[in-house]
Amino acid sequence: MSSLKNAQNRRDHKERAQPHDRRKFGILEKHKDYVVRAKAFHQKEEALKKLREKASFKNPDEFSFKMINTRMIDGVHKPKSEANKYTQEELLVMKTQDIGYVLQKLQSEKKKIDLLSSTLHLLDNQPPNKHVYFVEDREEAREIKSRASQSNKTTFEQMPKRIKRKIAASYKELEERKNRVQELEKLYNDMSLQKELQKPGRKRKLREDEILNPTTRPVYKWRAERKR
Amino acid sequence: MRPPRGGGRGGGFRGRSDGGGFRGRGRGGGGRGGPEGRGGGRGRGGGRFGGRGGGGGRGRGGRGGGMKGGSRVVVEPHRHDGVFIAKGKEDALCTRNLVAGESVYGEKRVAVQNEDGTKIEYRVWNPFRSKLAAAILGGVDNIWIAPGTRVLYLGAASGTTVSHVSDLVGPTGMVYAVEFSHRSGRDLVNMAKKRTNVIPIIEDARHPAKYRMLVGMVDVIFSDVAQPDQARILALNASYFLKNGGHFVISIKANCIDSTVPAEAVFAQEVKKLQAEQFKPSEQVTLEPFERDHACVVGGYRMPKKQKLATAT
Repeated sequence: MSSLKNAQNRRDHKERAQPHDRRKFGILEKHKDYVVRAKAFHQKEEALKKLREKASFKNPDEFSFKMINTRMIDGVHKPKSEANKYTQEELLVMKTQDIGYVLQKLQSEKKKIDLLSSTLHLLDNQPPNKHVYFVEDREEAREIKSRASQSNKTTFEQMPKRIKRKIAASYKELEERKNRVQELEKLYNDMSLQKELQKPGRKRKLREDEILNPTTRPVYKWRAERKR
Repeated sequence: MRPPRGGGRGGGFRGRSDGGGFRGRGRGGGGRGGPEGRGGGRGRGGGRFGGRGGGGGRGRGGRGGGMKGGSRVVVEPHRHDGVFIAKGKEDALCTRNLVAGESVYGEKRVAVQNEDGTKIEYRVWNPFRSKLAAAILGGVDNIWIAPGTRVLYLGAASGTTVSHVSDLVGPTGMVYAVEFSHRSGRDLVNMAKKRTNVIPIIEDARHPAKYRMLVGMVDVIFSDVAQPDQARILALNASYFLKNGGHFVISIKANCIDSTVPAEAVFAQEVKKLQAEQFKPSEQVTLEPFERDHACVVGGYRMPKKQKLATAT
């Protein structure tokens, strides 16, 4: 039966589209779109209703600790002071817990610099070293001098552009990492100084005339403490 | 009512997975119908599916393009025979790997394909770990170590530089590597297992008589022992194994000999010592920026006298 039905050519189903004069409303909404929209709407409506009910049933005289902890002073609401919220030990941990992360990053950067510099040998630059020749007489010296002046380094004239670009990128990366290590080292030194300062022990900041090797940074001196 | 709707939904699904084009055709064209149909398709996910497929295709295309771009490294011979320069992501000194596919100390390898399709592998030579590489980069005129030479290497340590020297001299050359410490000697022996031209000798270089049976006459002695009496050690070994007119390369660490005087003075002092032992130093390079207060001295041993008279007459 159904096979016969299929044999017959039927007209294509065509979905209705939004009429042109109503296109400002967007795509034509179908029933299943409406169902989704309506469900979402009712959900929100329900939530709002619940909140309203809760608010209307609230006891205005209900106790809250804020009633004791805070007060109005000259018409300004002052919350409870949090000065001693954390103990000294907790504060020490909180202020210095990033130091480990900084150290880790510092070490990983150093490792990467080692890796990079193992393959970047500054081949095109003149090395900053000293080259001494030992000769027996003036003739030989002259000969070596003339040889040194016309020394021909192996050059890559026909090096493709993309390789030149790659080399430049590698050197740039190395330079950037070196800068980063410098910054991280500074940061790490600062943080470890702060950590030491927060530990117990008598210390004081040295005055400028007391510092032997003048630096721009503060210098502290600890009172020698006798250990058992 | 129901059956047609169900059918319609099914059709809709099929239409969506096909993409907006089908629907556009159904509407019979018209400038306004096309864009709207496509917009609807995107909103319902059909467009997103298509987009994903397109992205995958683009990815594959990108990778293919990368391979087509040509070789990533260019390798050219250095002034010194057997040494090469690799330029690519790296800008490095390297040697041709004698044992293809293996690193000795975790160094980087660079493979280059020839025109005939054969692959040549090079190993990057780290001047921060090898005094010889640092000397080459420092512009030394002659290292005397070239393919086919026999080399006595004093102070081989773990065999990092020895492996490069073995690459340098090639299968026709020979490297006798002397190291006293058993601990680093173990690495040296392991390295030598793979390289037939390296003979590891775990002995004190101060007593060449102990290994005289293993070593033949050599063309070059490389010494990196960092001992206060290294000139004497070199002279002793040279008297046993170095041919007349052979050459030496010695690396001097100023701190190891005398840390109280400036490095330059130490180098001069060592050169004097060498000259007293029938050596004729020809040049000296310091190893900045790779090592601090190090120098490499190169020269000859029992060199034939210059033909002064011949030029005079």
